[in-house]
Amino acid sequence: MKKKQPDIILFLTTFLLLSIGIVMVLSSSSYHAMLHYDDPFYFLKRQLIWASLGIVAMFFTMHINYYKTKRFIVPGFIITLGLLILVLIPGVGIKVKGSTRWLGVGSLTFSPSEIVKLAVVFFFARAISLDPEYIKKPKGFLSYLLILGLVAFLLSKQPDLGTTVAVAGTVFCIFIAAGARVSHLTGLAFLGILGVVALIIAEPYRINRIIGFLNLWETASDEGYQTVQSLYALGSGWLFGIGLGNSRQKFLYLPERHTDFIFAIIGEELGFIGVSLVILLFFLFIWRGYRIALFAPDRFSSLLAVGLTSIIAVQSVINMGVVTGSLPVTGITLPFISYGGSSLLFSLIGVGFLLNISRYCQK
Amino acid sequence: MVSISMKKRISFIFLMVALFLSLLVVRLAWIQLIQGKELQAKAIDSRLRNIDIKAKRGIIYDRNGSPLAISVSTESVYAVPSQVRSSGRVEEIAEKLAEVLELDKDKLIEKMNKKIAFEWIKRRVPDEKIKQLKELNLPGINFVEENQRYYPKGELAAHILGFAGIDNQGLNGIELAYDKELRGVSGKIMIEYDAAGREIPNAMHQYIPPVDGHSIYLTIDETIQYIVEREIDQLMKERQAKKASIIVMDVKTGEILAMANRPTFDPNNYADYAQEVWRNFAISDAYEPGSTFKTVVTAAAIEEKVVKPTDRFYDPGYIKVGKETIKCWTRNPHGSQSFVEGVQNSCNPVFVTVGLRLGQDLFYKYLNGFGFGQKTGIDLPGEATGIIVNKSRAKEIDLASMSIGQANAVTPLQLVRALAAVANDGWLMKPQIVKEIRDLEGNLIKKIEPEPINQIISKETSTQVREILESVVSEGTGRNAQIEGYKVAGKTGTAQKILPGGGYSTTEYIASFAGFAPADDPRIAVLVVVDSPKGIYYGGTVAAPVFRNIVLDTLRYLQIPPQVSSEDKKEKIEKVIVPDVKQETVENAEKKLKSVGLKAKIEGEGDLVITQLPPVGTELVKGSTVILYTQDEESDQVVIPDLKGTTIKEAHTILTELGLKMAPQGSGLASLQDPAPGVRVMKGSTVRVQFTSPGKDDTILETISP
Repeated sequence: MKKKQPDIILFLTTFLLLSIGIVMVLSSSSYHAMLHYDDPFYFLKRQLIWASLGIVAMFFTMHINYYKTKRFIVPGFIITLGLLILVLIPGVGIKVKGSTRWLGVGSLTFSPSEIVKLAVVFFFARAISLDPEYIKKPKGFLSYLLILGLVAFLLSKQPDLGTTVAVAGTVFCIFIAAGARVSHLTGLAFLGILGVVALIIAEPYRINRIIGFLNLWETASDEGYQTVQSLYALGSGWLFGIGLGNSRQKFLYLPERHTDFIFAIIGEELGFIGVSLVILLFFLFIWRGYRIALFAPDRFSSLLAVGLTSIIAVQSVINMGVVTGSLPVTGITLPFISYGGSSLLFSLIGVGFLLNISRYCQK
Repeated sequence: MVSISMKKRISFIFLMVALFLSLLVVRLAWIQLIQGKELQAKAIDSRLRNIDIKAKRGIIYDRNGSPLAISVSTESVYAVPSQVRSSGRVEEIAEKLAEVLELDKDKLIEKMNKKIAFEWIKRRVPDEKIKQLKELNLPGINFVEENQRYYPKGELAAHILGFAGIDNQGLNGIELAYDKELRGVSGKIMIEYDAAGREIPNAMHQYIPPVDGHSIYLTIDETIQYIVEREIDQLMKERQAKKASIIVMDVKTGEILAMANRPTFDPNNYADYAQEVWRNFAISDAYEPGSTFKTVVTAAAIEEKVVKPTDRFYDPGYIKVGKETIKCWTRNPHGSQSFVEGVQNSCNPVFVTVGLRLGQDLFYKYLNGFGFGQKTGIDLPGEATGIIVNKSRAKEIDLASMSIGQANAVTPLQLVRALAAVANDGWLMKPQIVKEIRDLEGNLIKKIEPEPINQIISKETSTQVREILESVVSEGTGRNAQIEGYKVAGKTGTAQKILPGGGYSTTEYIASFAGFAPADDPRIAVLVVVDSPKGIYYGGTVAAPVFRNIVLDTLRYLQIPPQVSSEDKKEKIEKVIVPDVKQETVENAEKKLKSVGLKAKIEGEGDLVITQLPPVGTELVKGSTVILYTQDEESDQVVIPDLKGTTIKEAHTILTELGLKMAPQGSGLASLQDPAPGVRVMKGSTVRVQFTSPGKDDTILETISP
């Protein structure tokens, strides 16, 4: 098959988002980086290193023959499950802020959560495309659901609600695209809601998030604190923002200012114009992503493109929903923009595959 | 190739995501464009830390502008605990602070470990300690200037002034009643901090300047207040009483010229006294007025024509009211007497008869009319209403008791006001304690005018009652209140104290004297109430002399000329009016005086006449001497004048105009002074002047510390 040029719009959009992210990581993190590490560029430097690594990885995954990955998919998926179990073993997983998400030694740590997203997308794209009719059968749908349930269970054990939701949302999109029956999908959506309720009952800290979300202003000093500070930041920005680098909420008021809530700092410094531009870029990305899926050469490529695009779509929508106080706090980063090494690396690897597929598009 | 149905489904997913993104745009527009300003305001508010700058509390002056309560600034020490901690020297800083400020080190360490942005270390610290601390330059330890209330005259008028607390909040007296005016509005310095309490780079600074409080000018006259305080101290010393209250009221305006209570307190250290002592008894404690109340009954009876001054009465030593017997206060019955004599003798049977003649309706009409059983509305906190026997339950015996000042309880202020109304052609005035409110620059904000409430008795009745009450002093039970040269009217009172459980005490009395002067043109009404004096307890013995001393000094101070009461001094003496020679050269002044037939005596070595004695407009017999006080125009120095023979007021005027201050002692006329006349001193120096009462045998002079 003749290779074409990769999707240039998707490529440029990714770079723009990445650039905005790097600038905003510097702006939002410099104050507390100065305080804690005596170096305002502490987080910037790390973000630049990971972005460079990510770009290298992206070019790599853009150029390899992704069909050849097929035989690594199932072993890769099993290894990923193994890592998810490993991280749960006491003494192996590293606990940070109440969650055991990290594996590794010293400063060399990584979170299997990021690999899970890619692994799941590849696994389901491969599995479903092998027998397109299987998912339409109740038995087939149920068996896929069990596999998803296993992953979700392991993730929620860490606990990592954010990744659980992102993975479930992404797989749900793959199911839709793959032709799962509407009745099955609605049933799954219903189950998903039940599952969230179950998770909340299992871990009381999550109910606080919900309470904080519903009674934002009454709980502004504890549960609702993050969201209220986020709204303060957004509101302060108004139309044009208070200027790049001028954020006031970054002075330790807004928690997770360079990670989960970086979008609020963009809103504060660059205003409604700035956040609208970011949303527009995500819109362009998602449009190009699903377009690649539409014109992909075969079912496997198409489902892969749907999954890779949906990872970004689900995460960005949920993240922005949280920042704007429209959704409860879940702990999902904004793809390409939030600070976070492995997250950035794997997002760019995903984009690489997406661009790779675009070269085989029939239009 | 991707199937059509799959394409549809992928498009569906895309559309759903696009929908969510558009919803987010709408949501952001709502948050940023519609709620933006509000959220920003809240955000700024949450980031700003305020440092209050206290407004300067207004000054309280007497009616002549002499300061009675002022604010002085002192510095206080506070810590920003996070800054102290981040210096890593908590132990060391706490130790140094503990050493200089004599505080407990462990408690200081506790304060430094608090997670707050501001913590007082010590307030109102003496200057030299502040200096020491500033030299130590401790991180996180800061200073702020605070105003502290200071009452330069100490106990003087303590109950009127009240006091302000450590945060300059009015807690009692005028300080409380006029707190809003005095306090002003605090200003603020607002600085933007990070969430951990550190000032952030390029922080927003806002300065809102404080609006200083207004000054209050009281109706109190410092000099009269001095006189009253001196007399009440003397009284307490001599009589060892439990409590005492004295009020001096301007009859025509209802203004309180002086008001003092014992026991008292120093508002500079109010916390060192029992709370009970803070009470202004003169307005907050009701007592049975006893015979002093007969003044009001007399006025009502004459107004209603139920009695004429010449009506005859017979006192067998008691009077029967129904089954009860009311005795007269003396063992020797007064026998046959006129009504006027009955008042002079304070004869109970006469007043019971007159009271019963008035009857319940009229009696209560005057009780209400004179303002008993109601608050007078004076601008001081804690005023009592007193207790009046309920009209619907009042029997004949109650009416009889009320006629001799029993059964009802009144506050001293209510009584002195009613008496002032009797003296003031029947006009009841609202008692006033504040004359003016001015801003710190002295611009008038509000002037409080005298407020007549009602005319209770006619002018004619008022004149008659004045004459009767004058005869009480000149011929009756109030003889100890007599003052040579002035006509004085008044009434004694001696009441058994009511026991807490009801009934009358047989050992404790309230001695009082209520009166006004001059009797034919009343200017001041004075009430002296002495609670439980030791030994002699008659109002005429205990309270009347105090009344007399106060009235004498006050009338002299107010320059109310003595009336020539004796008829034998009617020969014609040619009188002249003293001209104004102030700011004239000595030469011109002498000429001016000579032209009207007066002599001049020069005091001081200057060329310019600064002030003169007697002042402009005084009537003098031809050939009298006018003293001219002179001074060099340019000089900072003043020659001390000879003040011998001047009254307190005159001495005060002369010294003030020369730029000197006076520390008066005693009463009467100036006899001794320090420095001596002719000594050169700097302007602003204080001259101690001793005043001696020429008529007084007892020469022990009470020193009033300023």
